[in-house]
Amino acid sequence: MKRHLQALVVLLLLGSVKLPLEESVTQHLRAAKLLSKPIDLGIRESVGQMSFAAALGGLRSLIASITYLRAYRAWENIEWAKVDSLFQITTRLQPRYQNYWDEASWHMAYNAASSYLYNEDIEPMVRGKFYADYIQRGIDILNEGLRFLPDDARLWNALAEIYDRRVHDPKKAAECYLEVHRISHNDRYARFAGYQYAQTSDPELWQKAYTLLKTAYYKKQRQPSVIEQIKNLEDKLKLPLMQRIPEKRQALEQPQGMIRPTQ
Amino acid sequence: MPEPAPSPPAVTVENLTKVFKSGLGKQAFVAVRDLSLTVQPGEVYGLIGPNGSGKSTTMKAILGLLSPTQGRTSIFGKSSTEVESRRDVGFLPENPYFYKHLNGLETLMFYGRLCSMSGRDLKEKAREMLVMTGLEDAADRRVSGFSKGMLQRLGLAQALLHQPRLIVLDEPTAGVDPAGSRKIRDLIMGFKERGITVLVTSHLLEQIQEVCDRVGIMAHGRMVREGRLEDLIAVENETELVLADASPELLAQIKTLIETQGGGAKLVRSGHSRTTLERLFLEATEETK
Amino acid sequence: MKYSSFSPARIWTLASATVTQLVRMKILAFLLVFCVIVVGAGFAFPVMNPEQQLKLLKDVSFGALQIFSIVIAIVATSLLLPRDLEDRTLYTILSKPVPRFEYLLGKLLGVLVLIGVGLILMDIAFSAVLWLRQTMVLAQSIGALKQEGVATPEAVAQLNEFVGKQGLTWNVHFGVLAIFLKASVIAALALMISCFSTSTLFTVVITFCVTIIGHGQSLIREYFLQGHFSNVIEKLLSALLAIVTPDLGVFDVVDNVINGELVSSASIGLMLGTTALYLVGYSVVSHLLFVEKEL
Repeated sequence: MKRHLQALVVLLLLGSVKLPLEESVTQHLRAAKLLSKPIDLGIRESVGQMSFAAALGGLRSLIASITYLRAYRAWENIEWAKVDSLFQITTRLQPRYQNYWDEASWHMAYNAASSYLYNEDIEPMVRGKFYADYIQRGIDILNEGLRFLPDDARLWNALAEIYDRRVHDPKKAAECYLEVHRISHNDRYARFAGYQYAQTSDPELWQKAYTLLKTAYYKKQRQPSVIEQIKNLEDKLKLPLMQRIPEKRQALEQPQGMIRPTQ
Repeated sequence: MPEPAPSPPAVTVENLTKVFKSGLGKQAFVAVRDLSLTVQPGEVYGLIGPNGSGKSTTMKAILGLLSPTQGRTSIFGKSSTEVESRRDVGFLPENPYFYKHLNGLETLMFYGRLCSMSGRDLKEKAREMLVMTGLEDAADRRVSGFSKGMLQRLGLAQALLHQPRLIVLDEPTAGVDPAGSRKIRDLIMGFKERGITVLVTSHLLEQIQEVCDRVGIMAHGRMVREGRLEDLIAVENETELVLADASPELLAQIKTLIETQGGGAKLVRSGHSRTTLERLFLEATEETK
Repeated sequence: MKYSSFSPARIWTLASATVTQLVRMKILAFLLVFCVIVVGAGFAFPVMNPEQQLKLLKDVSFGALQIFSIVIAIVATSLLLPRDLEDRTLYTILSKPVPRFEYLLGKLLGVLVLIGVGLILMDIAFSAVLWLRQTMVLAQSIGALKQEGVATPEAVAQLNEFVGKQGLTWNVHFGVLAIFLKASVIAALALMISCFSTSTLFTVVITFCVTIIGHGQSLIREYFLQGHFSNVIEKLLSALLAIVTPDLGVFDVVDNVINGELVSSASIGLMLGTTALYLVGYSVVSHLLFVEKEL
């Protein structure tokens, strides 16, 4: 009996010693992005008790894959609400996997939105509303993903493309491209931001566009579209001739259309 | 060479009491009550008694498998609570089982390694034990196919492998056919000749009486009788006379002699000697070989 | 004959006997099932984007690895002591000069060797399928790009990068190591519980419960440490649970390894350290419980 008491004491001692250790190990592994944040307890109702237990038991990635597959199936059956809710579970299970956010928003902003827009069974007014709503949903999804992955170039790029192609908000698209540039240091995204700023109606932003494109120009990125856009901006900004790029004249002499490898 | 110190008893049990606590609300069970016994080196000691009399508990306490509630047990002077006390003892439990996936030789190798034996020494010893217990043909057979008697003999081989000075046998003949049990008894006699101390328990009195020097009888956890076998079973006031080829006339004369000049002596019984069923069985089965 | 009170050779003898004992129980049949699952996961799902396909293969394989290791750790360990006791092999072993802690260590080591070897074999099978699938997916995707006439060097490089991140890397094996460490802790836990338990079923059920709680232990611990509970009983209960159960969540790096996060050597060190702490702690408790066990 004495030994049993000793065993209990050792177990409790071990337990109290290990608590702060476990806490610091957990913090370290979380900082190293190897451990995820504790699972959201609210997800239990959405995935069911068994899946929740499995997700707790280190099978989170697997459960996410399963809900992803279900979302895929829902997509094949064109059940947009279901696609949305299944992706919501998937992203909540693995918020650090950018592919899920990217795909979820793509489904909403492109597939679902277009599917409603061209659905002849729905009143035209309602169609337009749905179209806009689903695009907004795609944007919301990406913004939520960016809360978890603020430095993910892929998500910023996806967001930029939605603002560019779906919402036609060049200012926001430009801002997103600038984020991609900040993270990836790939100069083509600065150029993209420049193109977007150039499309706005705000002279201040034209100035920004001009600066960005001029930087590209000086970095020897002299694709025809860059030169064209710069000339355009120089006109819009009414810059004195001395400050303008020399291509104004040369452009007329040189052949167009040569493709340089993008950077 | 200095005079060797007098060797301590092979086994000492001093005032051993073992109480098994049972679940809540149930009474504790006293398996052994204030038991003392000593086995001298070279002796064959039989501990007999009905099932549940505390024999096995006593044995387990001696081997350190159970811790006594009160009292002490030791082997060659070393307390049973020390692991080292088990260096000098070989144990054959009742109905032993071994890892079924091993064969005879592998089983012995396994136990040999546990006794810190190794290499060729171990292999030779293991083979020797198989020969001694008559299992040389079963060396490569899986233990799962062994008969009860074979298992028992493998158990003996395993107990003897590391050349212990004491062997503890728990019901070695239980459930074994007479030929098998005869073999085991012969082995015990062999140990005795080699100076190995034997502590054996049994509830079959007949089988044990041939081999034991001393016997202790246990009942309800207590020692009720203990002593040399001859002393315990001799009926002091009776004498046995066994005659071969005696004629009826001779028998009549002896009868008259007792009646006339007996001086108070009485003839208790006379008649044909009977062989034991066991002896008959052995003779019959030997013949068919 | 020499006698020492601690002998690695004896422990190894017991461990190897344990391994063969478990192998004979056909426990490794799991390996075949695993291979079928991996190959199935590798080739049976609809064609999605290449990354997701590889992720799915890894998810399913790692899931199977985890389930295998945890189930073996719990069930095999729980079986060992009762089996030896029932077969009375425990009597013959412990009546040899074998200290009881060596017996326990031998059993634990045997289970760990079995799980380790099983995981290595499965890792090899899984790596082969992953590599094969990765090569195929890459070739397919590049082929598709070429067909569309957009197979620029950058596009191919980016594809290579995406697929490479999801494909076979050394990092994947560190994930398997983490799974092994978790299983080791669970095996030690099961052994400890079987030292005072009276039936195999009890051991299995309790170990299983503790394993589940252990995966959520960080939640309980953090709630307790951050003082989320105001009720005294809640506080005490959460403290007790956090103290008694191990934090198995520490080893759940697999999810993020699948995602391509790199396992640093510092992280491996921390996980090894945590495992060692639990193994030593639980072994000491097991010894204290077992040394007086009435056989």
